[in-house]
Amino acid sequence: MPADKSEVLQGTLDLMILKTLHALGPLHGFGIARRIEQLSEDVLTLNEGTVYTSLLRLQQKGWIASEWGISENNRRARFYSITKRGLKQLAIETENWERISGVISRVLALEAKVSL
Amino acid sequence: MTNRMLIFVAKLKAFFAQSADDTAFSEEIEAHLQLLAEQYERQGLSSADARQAARRQFGSVTLLTQKRKEARTTMFFSNIARDLRYGVRQLMKTPVFTIVCVLTLALGVGANTAVFSVMHAVLAKMLPVHEASKVVYVHTSGFPDGAHNTGDEATSFSYAAYRELREHSGLEEVIGFIPMSSSGKAPVRVGTAPEEAAGDMVSGNYFTGLGVGVELGRGLIEKDEDDHTPNVVISEKFWSTHYARNPDAIGKTLFIKSHPFTIVGVAAKGFEGTEGRLPLDFWIPLQSDPEFNAWGNPAEDGTYLTIPQFWCMRLMARIPAGTSSEQALAKAQGIFQQAAYLGIAQKHAGEKIPQLSFHAAKQFDSEDDSFSRSLKTLMAMVGLVLLIAMCNVVMLLMARNANRQREFSIRLALGAGHKEIARQLLTESLLLVMLGGAAAWIFALAATRALGAWARIDSNLQPDSVVLWFTLSILLLLAIVFGLAPLRAAMSSGPDMALRSSATASQTTSQKVRAGNIIIVTQVAMCVVLLVGAALLLGTLRNLMNIPLGQKPDGVLVFGVHPRHVKSKEESIAFFVNLQQRLRSIPGVESVSFASNRPGSGWSGNNGGLLVDGHKPEGVEPEQAYYRQNNVGSDFFRTMGVPVVQGRDFSDADSSSATQVIIVNETFAKKYLGTLNAVGHTLTNTKGLHPRLIIGVVKDHKYTGITEEARPMRWVVFTQGDLENQLDVEMRVKGDPMEMLPTVRKFMQQIDPDMPLLEPMAQSEVFQQSISEQVMFARLAGCFGVLAVVLIATGLYGTLSYRVSKRSAEIGVRMALGAQRGQIVWMILRGSLLLTAMGVAVGIPFAMAASKGLKSSLYGVKPLDLTSYIFAIVGVAVVALTASGLPARRAGSVDPSIALRAD
Repeated sequence: MPADKSEVLQGTLDLMILKTLHALGPLHGFGIARRIEQLSEDVLTLNEGTVYTSLLRLQQKGWIASEWGISENNRRARFYSITKRGLKQLAIETENWERISGVISRVLALEAKVSL
Repeated sequence: MTNRMLIFVAKLKAFFAQSADDTAFSEEIEAHLQLLAEQYERQGLSSADARQAARRQFGSVTLLTQKRKEARTTMFFSNIARDLRYGVRQLMKTPVFTIVCVLTLALGVGANTAVFSVMHAVLAKMLPVHEASKVVYVHTSGFPDGAHNTGDEATSFSYAAYRELREHSGLEEVIGFIPMSSSGKAPVRVGTAPEEAAGDMVSGNYFTGLGVGVELGRGLIEKDEDDHTPNVVISEKFWSTHYARNPDAIGKTLFIKSHPFTIVGVAAKGFEGTEGRLPLDFWIPLQSDPEFNAWGNPAEDGTYLTIPQFWCMRLMARIPAGTSSEQALAKAQGIFQQAAYLGIAQKHAGEKIPQLSFHAAKQFDSEDDSFSRSLKTLMAMVGLVLLIAMCNVVMLLMARNANRQREFSIRLALGAGHKEIARQLLTESLLLVMLGGAAAWIFALAATRALGAWARIDSNLQPDSVVLWFTLSILLLLAIVFGLAPLRAAMSSGPDMALRSSATASQTTSQKVRAGNIIIVTQVAMCVVLLVGAALLLGTLRNLMNIPLGQKPDGVLVFGVHPRHVKSKEESIAFFVNLQQRLRSIPGVESVSFASNRPGSGWSGNNGGLLVDGHKPEGVEPEQAYYRQNNVGSDFFRTMGVPVVQGRDFSDADSSSATQVIIVNETFAKKYLGTLNAVGHTLTNTKGLHPRLIIGVVKDHKYTGITEEARPMRWVVFTQGDLENQLDVEMRVKGDPMEMLPTVRKFMQQIDPDMPLLEPMAQSEVFQQSISEQVMFARLAGCFGVLAVVLIATGLYGTLSYRVSKRSAEIGVRMALGAQRGQIVWMILRGSLLLTAMGVAVGIPFAMAASKGLKSSLYGVKPLDLTSYIFAIVGVAVVALTASGLPARRAGSVDPSIALRAD
């Protein structure tokens, strides 16, 4: 495994999936995995199976729904889509994320004043 | 801790369970892997490499599936666990509510379970035999003129008829069995102490024909019947109690009527014979020894085997496979109607030919209609009690949950779905019902035993799986009703309710009040029905208890004696006369006599046909002069405490060689002689033979039982009657008769160690038992009436206090505007009295219909007995007033300044 790839942060995968479904509409597991892979530009390593754990969790919380359908190459596939409650949650999580990442980037931007 | 437990359970379940979801999931993953592999192939990998790369990229499928299963189950279990925890907390928060609900349910459901299990056992349970649907009891409509029977007309057949049916009727099996005596019991001895045990003398195909297996050894076989072998099969219970379930019991000797029998088998557990309420201890093959004549009858002229006119055998049959019961009956009918006249010299013109009929092989043969009617009435009563109890709990739940309306609003506002709230409510009601159900089952076990004891049924009545299902389905129904009833109230409160918090906002709507009113009116109506029924039956009980017996049974001990080796009349008389002399010598004994039919036991001799001084008795055709008769000993009326109106009692001087004498009762004297001065007249049979001189007239008194109407009776001293091989000793003693029993027992063992006292009892107890069924019925009805009243009282009280507490703001306003305390109290009372009046109005017609149905169970009380109705109405009114009194007083003491400021 290449050393320059980082592990997916616990919990962020849920957010990524929610956002993906929000942006692209109903998708099957494979499509979601591809999309995240593309967007991360190979920075993140992703055991694609974990996508399904995340999908189950989201489903149990009622944030996404699933439905069987036919994929673009005529395969039977389960399509996931975001629900109303999922949308609300996405808004909350996005805000959370922005707040936290803002804090973190501010923290990281601190100059080492003491050592001066 | 609980969480770890849950995860463990979830893992276990996940490990084993395979659900539709799993299949769908593996399909989904397979598709994913496929797509991934295709992508790698497009990138130039070989198909095998691509597949492997896809797997690597995807990660462990097994692990994923496993995790998924766990997640699913833990979710399910943790939801349930959360609901349960929450439910328990809710119930614990209101302990009085919980206890009242659980007790109400325990009584309501428990009473239903107990009565149902007795009813099921008596009316529906089949005998534990092979293919019970093919097995029938055989009944007859009667027996031919010229034959005689044992008193059970419907179930008595002659041995000759049995042989004919068995050989020619086309029935697969015809099984015969004969009780050892009229009580069903016979003296037996295992070790040294003689005792009584219940047994039947049965045909060789009894076990094979019924398809009853054995625990040990073998059942009886054809050869046992043919050779009248001294073999015996004992019941599993007898084996446990007398042989400690030791397999060595096989081959041991069991003495029956002092004859040695060899134990050859132990019947299958659960099989207690075919005698209904009397469970049997042993079965022996049909015997030819005169000692073993049918029903323990004396065999002066021969036994049941040799006298074809003696109808004494009970029959069962197995319908051949592929034949309907009707076809089989039609075929057997012809054979039977010929066989019935075997040994009868001449068929009378126009006589009713006996008809066969088949009856399902239930545990209890369908002969006792009054008992089954009582049971059905009881079932209806407990059904009403259950309905009342259910209404109560529903009202309590609604009241409680209305208080929780704000809680529900808040939960809805916080995002709980309606489904979650419904699940929560159902879980709570399920908890409540489970607690109540467990208590009910315990209560039912005890109640069933008590019911069986009261009804004098010794055979097993304990609830079986059918009863368990009955109870479980009631409980499930209750859980659903209790869960759903408050649901609407909970749902109707939208999330916005959380914001409005004053008492007026959460005021009950008029619609809800109306629903509550309907429930109360229904309850009161049902209560009226129950109370009227209870009052009528208690009136019956009072009448039964106060019936004068015409004798003094207190202080009289009675027990049966069956001497061994008594072959002739002379031997029998010598034995009993000697016994009487010796018993008189016991200190504390005032007088001793005998009776061939124990008074009060229901057994009687019924005869007809007599001439008075050679003439027609007072305008009655001689053949139609019916009377009851008993053969008794000297001093009989002194011992029983019956006043002699004219003449004298029997004395020791009335020996077999003295003048043949007879004593009659007042009804006999008036009806057949036209005067009470009957002493000195002579009675003969219709041919003018066997003259007997009337030496006394006694006061009318009860003979077969307490409810018997006065009818012509006559008594003959046993020394001048037929051979008696068994007599009941009647013994008047000082003090409690049962305290004399050990002395008498010791005394009798000195005479013959192999001769047990048969059914020793206080004579007063014998009479009590003759009405025990009615007494039980009335007492139970009374209990259910009281139960209903208590339930109504608590329900009414709960609902009214709740309403008053809800209206305290309104009452405060009224008082602030000048309403007097008395006006407020009256307002509340009037409301509940109005509801009661409506309930009574609705209930009375139902009560009238119900009492018509009770008619046959009543004694000396008319179905439309005014007192009973007044009692019921006053009872309900008092209960309603009491239950509403407290809440009304509380309403009257509302302080307006506090009430208005609250909330």
